[in-house]
Amino acid sequence: MKTILINPLDETPRAVGAPAPRLDSLAGKTIGLLDISKWGGSFFLDHLERLLKERYGVEQVVRAMKPTFTKPAPAEVIDRLKQADCAAVIEALAD
Amino acid sequence: MLQPSEQAPSFSLPQLDGGVRRLEQGKPALLVFFETDCPTCQLAIPYLNRLADALGGEAEVIGISQDGEAPTRQLVEQLPIRFPVALDHGLAVSREYDPQAVPTLFLIDGDGKIARTSVAFDKAELNAIATEMLREPFELAGKHDGAPATKPGCVARHLEPQTEGELAPTLNLYAERGSRASRFELGEDVDPYEFCYQAGFADPLPVIPPTVERVERMLGATTLAPDQIVARIPPNYGMATVEKIAANAVMAGCQPEMMRVLVPLIKAICDERFNIHGVQATTHFAAPLVIVNGPVRHELDFACRSNVFSNVARANSTLGRALQLILTNIGGARPGELDMSTLGNPGKFSYCIAENEEENPWEPLHTEFGFDRNQSAVTLFAAEPPHGVSEHNAREGRTVLKAISRALATVFSYRFCVGWEAVVALCPEHVKTLNRSGFTKASIREFLFENTGIPVKEYEDDGGEGTQYAQLYQRATINGEECYRKFADPSQLKLVVTGGTAGKFSAVIGSWATGPRGSQMVCYPIESVPRAVASESPSAGH
Repeated sequence: MKTILINPLDETPRAVGAPAPRLDSLAGKTIGLLDISKWGGSFFLDHLERLLKERYGVEQVVRAMKPTFTKPAPAEVIDRLKQADCAAVIEALAD
Repeated sequence: MLQPSEQAPSFSLPQLDGGVRRLEQGKPALLVFFETDCPTCQLAIPYLNRLADALGGEAEVIGISQDGEAPTRQLVEQLPIRFPVALDHGLAVSREYDPQAVPTLFLIDGDGKIARTSVAFDKAELNAIATEMLREPFELAGKHDGAPATKPGCVARHLEPQTEGELAPTLNLYAERGSRASRFELGEDVDPYEFCYQAGFADPLPVIPPTVERVERMLGATTLAPDQIVARIPPNYGMATVEKIAANAVMAGCQPEMMRVLVPLIKAICDERFNIHGVQATTHFAAPLVIVNGPVRHELDFACRSNVFSNVARANSTLGRALQLILTNIGGARPGELDMSTLGNPGKFSYCIAENEEENPWEPLHTEFGFDRNQSAVTLFAAEPPHGVSEHNAREGRTVLKAISRALATVFSYRFCVGWEAVVALCPEHVKTLNRSGFTKASIREFLFENTGIPVKEYEDDGGEGTQYAQLYQRATINGEECYRKFADPSQLKLVVTGGTAGKFSAVIGSWATGPRGSQMVCYPIESVPRAVASESPSAGH
């Protein structure tokens, strides 16, 4: 007798999005830095901000922070980065 | 899927070469459901071409494509296909015949009844069909023509979820109904246990294969429709339909009656306050601890006495395991992928206890969430593994509590205060001592809050490195020593009476991040057993 199994895995239909186009260069761009609000995030992101400006010629850095690292970023935080018209956003954490 | 001796539904489908294709009365026909991109269909079709050639006009082979006109035409020309092909636009005929995989063959006799079916590729079945249609022994598929004796097919198009490309609908977070689960048909040479492991259904231990029959038995224990969506499980927000929950419950070894607990449990775990997204994705130890209260404990044989945290009862072990399988299989938090916990937690196999309410002289846990004692309920806590507190010499309740407070001081990490909670699992012998000393649940919590602290001098090591948050902590004098309070409020301590009546072993179970910025305990009611049909049926003749 043949065995027929019910698929127990996730079969939720989803639209597949394409990754955003990569940047050719960081020079002159506005870059967002999103801190997920872990203990050491600011040390790391302060250093990253310096590097982006000094070594890669980034024009402006916009900083944002999630209210808690345990949950996805709320709409206000995403909106803030969107309104700043960032060419790219780097999300980072450090313990 | 329609079975032999059932009447074959009539249809009228557009034929690829123009005109309309119907079943002709009095003329046997072999319907071939296929997909253009299915390798097994492409393997089977040349054999069916030869059958169509041999049949002449007495009977016919009719292909039914589950794909659109362009790809079907391309396949017909490339293979080629020499028998007539009809297009099942909208898959209405596919739904009526309901083949679970392709290719599926339905042999229809002259009276319009289904005489035989064959799923996927099977040389023996092809030969039997040819022999029946030609009414003489006919070897359509030789043993040594290079093709395998059997080959599994693909999921039929009408059962397939749309998962890629622009046609896939955007996630609808508000729909109440989902799709039915797809199915896998295993060849006779496939070991179902090994298949489940290879297909990624299992935790690393064997699961009960979720056969159609077993899942149907599980579904029979609920009045909910199989495609009803109970919740969408983070982090992938997979739709947990009743059928998917049932399939995972089968795999975990649950009895059908457990659906009564699983449905509210899945709703509870997806309660935003519990934040299962974070619990699943954290590198911390957290795993959901399930605590069962009320009459359901005895109705479904949950263990609440000795060995309560371990391998003592089918109900505890299978409910905890079903939850974990659902979280990984539907929610997508697979270990090593989205779940990157540094050390993990043995509770991720199964972590389910019941309260020993019979040994609890105070109010049981679920009543603190507003439920009546006689209401069954399930409570969830994002938990570390249990940390034992052995205290055998104490005659007084306060001495027992001081021992527990030392363990509470180590929750999360010794010098980290305020942001954490704990469940204290009190064993019946400690409870007796506490009760004799006049403690209540409220006074136990208050005592533990007042007496759990970290001496300030502990923060002076290494020039105070790693203690930058100490300035946020509350100072108190505990036992004559200047300390920081471990907890912000007595409500951060939850008490559960559980375990066997022999042994003075309680346990402290630490939390993950808590409160609105972490995970909050949630408690959901479990419906009582519907009155047995037998007791409601009229007592005829009495």
